[in-house]
Amino acid sequence: MLQKSSLTLRDGTKLDDLIMRDTNEVSLRVMTDEELYHHEMERIFAKTWLLLGHESEIPKAGDFIIRDMAEDNVIVARDADGSVNVSLNVCPHRGMRVCLGEAGNKRVHQCIYHGWAFKPNGDFIGAPIEKEKMHGNNVEKATLNLKKARVHLYGGLIFATWNVDGPSFDEYLGDIKYYMDQLFCRTDSGLELLGPPQRFVLPCNWKVPGEQSGSDGFHTLTLHRSLMEGGVMGGTAETIYDQAPGMYGVDVSCEQGHSLRCLEAEKTFKMFADIPFEGKSTEERLNLLTPPGITKEMIPELFKNLSEDQVEQLATFPPQVGGMFPNVLLAFIFAPRTDGGASGALTLHTYMPKGPDRVEFVNYIFAEKDAPEQVKRDMLQNAIQATGTSGTIEQDDADVWPVIMRNARGGVSKHITLKYQALHGEERPEGWKGGGMLYPGFTKDDTQWNWWLAYHKLMSEA
Amino acid sequence: MTTTKSTAAPDSTTILRGLSSNRRVPLGSAVYNALLETLYDEAAALDERRFDDWVAMLEEDLVYTAPIRLTRTGPNRDRDVMRTMFHFDESYGSILMRTGRMQKSAWAEDPPSRCRRFVTNVRIGECDAAGEYEVVSYLFLERSRGDNPENEHMTAERRDIWRYVNGCYKLTKREIIVDQSVLGMSNFAVFL
Repeated sequence: MLQKSSLTLRDGTKLDDLIMRDTNEVSLRVMTDEELYHHEMERIFAKTWLLLGHESEIPKAGDFIIRDMAEDNVIVARDADGSVNVSLNVCPHRGMRVCLGEAGNKRVHQCIYHGWAFKPNGDFIGAPIEKEKMHGNNVEKATLNLKKARVHLYGGLIFATWNVDGPSFDEYLGDIKYYMDQLFCRTDSGLELLGPPQRFVLPCNWKVPGEQSGSDGFHTLTLHRSLMEGGVMGGTAETIYDQAPGMYGVDVSCEQGHSLRCLEAEKTFKMFADIPFEGKSTEERLNLLTPPGITKEMIPELFKNLSEDQVEQLATFPPQVGGMFPNVLLAFIFAPRTDGGASGALTLHTYMPKGPDRVEFVNYIFAEKDAPEQVKRDMLQNAIQATGTSGTIEQDDADVWPVIMRNARGGVSKHITLKYQALHGEERPEGWKGGGMLYPGFTKDDTQWNWWLAYHKLMSEA
Repeated sequence: MTTTKSTAAPDSTTILRGLSSNRRVPLGSAVYNALLETLYDEAAALDERRFDDWVAMLEEDLVYTAPIRLTRTGPNRDRDVMRTMFHFDESYGSILMRTGRMQKSAWAEDPPSRCRRFVTNVRIGECDAAGEYEVVSYLFLERSRGDNPENEHMTAERRDIWRYVNGCYKLTKREIIVDQSVLGMSNFAVFL
């Protein structure tokens, strides 16, 4: 028996009327409802861990970047002690932004309005004219710090949450960590962000791209048809639906709503050259087809940083696309070049809510820090040409999402439901080493449905 | 030279923009007029989606980029062009891949946008290489999508190098410096 959600909107509609757990449907109304959006800000975006960037962006003491946690603007700064701190960019005096640039280096952040000043860690230093006590007559300075978020670094990625006493980052990741480690924690020096993220705004609700980040593999065959037409994913324009390239593998997810699509390397490889993996060792397989972003020279590092089982998976079923609930999409993909250059593209996106009908798409592009400069150069180009602002894959996504949004406003249309009824059901493939909920075979709706279940769960917790 | 990848620390490459040549090609001169006409022809080819005509105006050593902008304050306030990250990072080959895709299933431009490219404030200088000209222009793009009555728009400065080849000018380098740090346009499925 499913436990009923306690969330009821002002017009009497219950969350359970919008997310129908008995039939695996979601009302299109969830994409436009303002009341729901305000609940999401409190119950999801003020509660979960959110991705804000990478520590390679702020290598030195005093370095800072300005990022968003949904509609809350924050300062992400490295303090003199080397720690990374996240504090609300709102002056406790009159509510002005303390920091107006998007990046820089400052030992003191002074508000331009009345001059209240703060350290990189958010601690209040003081107001001008100290003897006049302009911060208040009998007010302890320590009570005037910028509001501080809880921070966790994972493979150099900066995550923060306002939920100071909530789940730890590892609890938030859950069973998906075993797989995410294969992407973020596999080399000695880790990942490096190649430059500040691309940012652009789309006129749609954050959940339109959000639910897709729950590992929607199926849309690739149709929306991203040009990948097959261009020979990037194997197959030809005529055989797309017969051969269904990239559709078979093992989808992994967990109750926290995260998911990954692990694609069989042998099949991926077959698209470019027909060399069978049978009878080959993990190391030989890695040498035949290095995971996206990894060079042959880095292979020994994989064995050093990951368990034998994790490396074996990376060699046979590398995780390639997926997401972290609520608003992160990741793509660690093969992007073959015709000039023989490096073929990987490593990107992470966050979909930051900017009102019920606006979302900011933030595209972070990475390479392994220890990769040669030319490999980084190639991978930057691969990622820009495939993803984000002008990427030939994601141009098409950015064109679909606002149209869904316009539909969701119709008095009749908003009652249409999104269908998640093509389900495989959990099944553990023989010899599979990792945990989580597993869905082998053709990619179906299971992981995206788990994304909605995670949404439902958080929205039901007041 | 390796540029720093730190977001926080801008290096001196982040201030270069505008016309750098000090050998000006004056307004109204024959070369100026021919290049201005070329820019208008190029805008028309793109607005009319005659991509083969546009590609014919490109040199095979083309470098076509659009660095991102980043707002800064204080001493580094003018160091706001980040040439470590781009909205476009293209070669002649990748442009061919993009225009080729347009003939097939590029849903982002099928149905196509209706675009108007307004090119103004054209300033021209001679490069060191004979027959090459530095051409700086402002671009204002209005883009209409489907039956949406609200246009998307974008402003930028373009820093080009055009080369005189067999009686016409061909584009060998373009840097598009957009004005927004957060783009208001939902994708760059169109060329700038």
